[in-house]
Amino acid sequence: MDADSDVALDILITNVVCVFRTRCHLNLRKIALEGANVIYKRDVGKVLMKLRKPRITATIWSSGKIICTGATSEEEAKFGARRLARSLQKLGFQVIFTDFKVVNVLAVCNMPFEIRLPEFTKNNRPHASYEPELHPAVCYRIKSLRATLQIFSTGSITVTG
Amino acid sequence: MPGGGHCPDCGSTELVEDSHYSQSQLVCSDCGCVVTEGVLTTTFSDEGNLREVTYSRSTGENDQVSRSQQRGLRRVRDLCRVLQLPSTFEDTAVAYYQQAYRHSGIRAARLQKKEVLVGCCVLITCRQHNWPLTMGTICTLLYADLDVFSGTYMQIVKLLGLDVPSLCLADLVKTYCSSFRLFQASPSVPATYVEDKEKMLSRTLQLVELADETWLVTGRHPLPVITAATFLAWQSLRPAHRLTCSLARFCKVANVELPCPAASRLQELLAVLLRMAEQLAWLRVLQLDKRSVVKHIGDLLQHRHTLVREAFREGPVGLEAGEEEPRGQCGGPGQGKEEVASGSCGLPVGKRPASPALLLPPCMLKPPKRACPPPPVSTVTGDENISDSEIEQYLRTPQEVKDFEKAQAARQDARSVSNPP
Repeated sequence: MDADSDVALDILITNVVCVFRTRCHLNLRKIALEGANVIYKRDVGKVLMKLRKPRITATIWSSGKIICTGATSEEEAKFGARRLARSLQKLGFQVIFTDFKVVNVLAVCNMPFEIRLPEFTKNNRPHASYEPELHPAVCYRIKSLRATLQIFSTGSITVTG
Repeated sequence: MPGGGHCPDCGSTELVEDSHYSQSQLVCSDCGCVVTEGVLTTTFSDEGNLREVTYSRSTGENDQVSRSQQRGLRRVRDLCRVLQLPSTFEDTAVAYYQQAYRHSGIRAARLQKKEVLVGCCVLITCRQHNWPLTMGTICTLLYADLDVFSGTYMQIVKLLGLDVPSLCLADLVKTYCSSFRLFQASPSVPATYVEDKEKMLSRTLQLVELADETWLVTGRHPLPVITAATFLAWQSLRPAHRLTCSLARFCKVANVELPCPAASRLQELLAVLLRMAEQLAWLRVLQLDKRSVVKHIGDLLQHRHTLVREAFREGPVGLEAGEEEPRGQCGGPGQGKEEVASGSCGLPVGKRPASPALLLPPCMLKPPKRACPPPPVSTVTGDENISDSEIEQYLRTPQEVKDFEKAQAARQDARSVSNPP
């Protein structure tokens, strides 16, 4: 691709996963009883809480660790996580919003050309891995960025990491 | 030492048992006279009592190897023998298994995973020697689930840091086609269905190459494409008697399992052949359809390179406009062609044969199932104030909590009534 190509590539972030800690023990039964939009998974020992705006699903463990998924930007993820912490505060827990960290960002991009995957794999041997019997895309790993790209023959690329 | 013996020379009773190399002898300790000798050679019945010590037992090699690892190594060797692989493959696969076993994650894994690991090691060995072996075959032989197999396979490739080459399509075609039972007449195979192996193989290879060129193989499981190509090749060699035979019946007669996607691959391949047929003047007048085009596959394959170029470059205007839409905001076909040339292969534009403009993977030719709206521009910073009213929507009011508790209790009662202890 030329540096001065006039085709702008739209890269769309579809999912941001973040974690944070509340530094206090959480009573999952109480959250399940007094929280709206919650699902209590007793067998696994976690509570799923869904927020409407921003559209986020949070997995809450009794140790105080919370994982938020579904945000479309890092700022939204932080906003949703803070909202969740506020909700838990209102429920009566001594919540302190700490150790917020974005763990994974998933983005999708479309190339304006098709890609011949077997040839692509041959030319990018150590990084690219292609198993047509298992998955239709080439898995390209960039170790330095700790990112994984799924490259499809239609030119669609999914970036995670 | 022994009792009751006298030396014939000096009369002493001090007789000692000694052995001269491997021959046991009774010797007088005073004068050194040999009183009796043992037998140097053993009889057949004596040898039956001797136990042969295996090399591995004598060196203590197996003492360091756990029982489950020994079992796994035996399974690897058995699998190589079942697949009739050369002996060098066996040694390589065993080495991989031992290497994998050194990792704690594998040592502590479940037996199911260790069983699947056997198949993974054999598969990696075959791939590195370009021996065509599919995962499906190994899963069938090991009665393993493909999901478990794929997980273990990816894990082991990463763990051992191996570079596993892709499956070679041409070799897979040859092996797979040879497994079709159509080359000899038998009670289940009518005489009109029997075909010459070499002819069928060469035609199938040409059809698979054609499918590869026209985006039907990229990203898909190779076996259904090869099945469809074999079927078409077989039909086209004697169309008069074979056009009435369906794909399912063909697989049944040939004693081969029909993979599910093979039918749609067959339709796609026929569509490509029809497009190519439109470029030949003497076929255009015949107005072929998906059944009649089979009779002319021989001619089409003979000129396939030219026909593919012609068929997909000079599309009608309406079709071109229709196919622009799925590509959305990207550049025009000319630019797309250039980027295929330079972007995917890394070869200079001049060297790579020009890819036809309208030749797209089949999924791009279908209209998109759901329109993807552009995401709304969000001005969230992450540190804004959150008002109480926003939070209240996520909390139940005390009345709602009481109602919920009542409903739960009622459900519990109903359950205990319907399931009496």
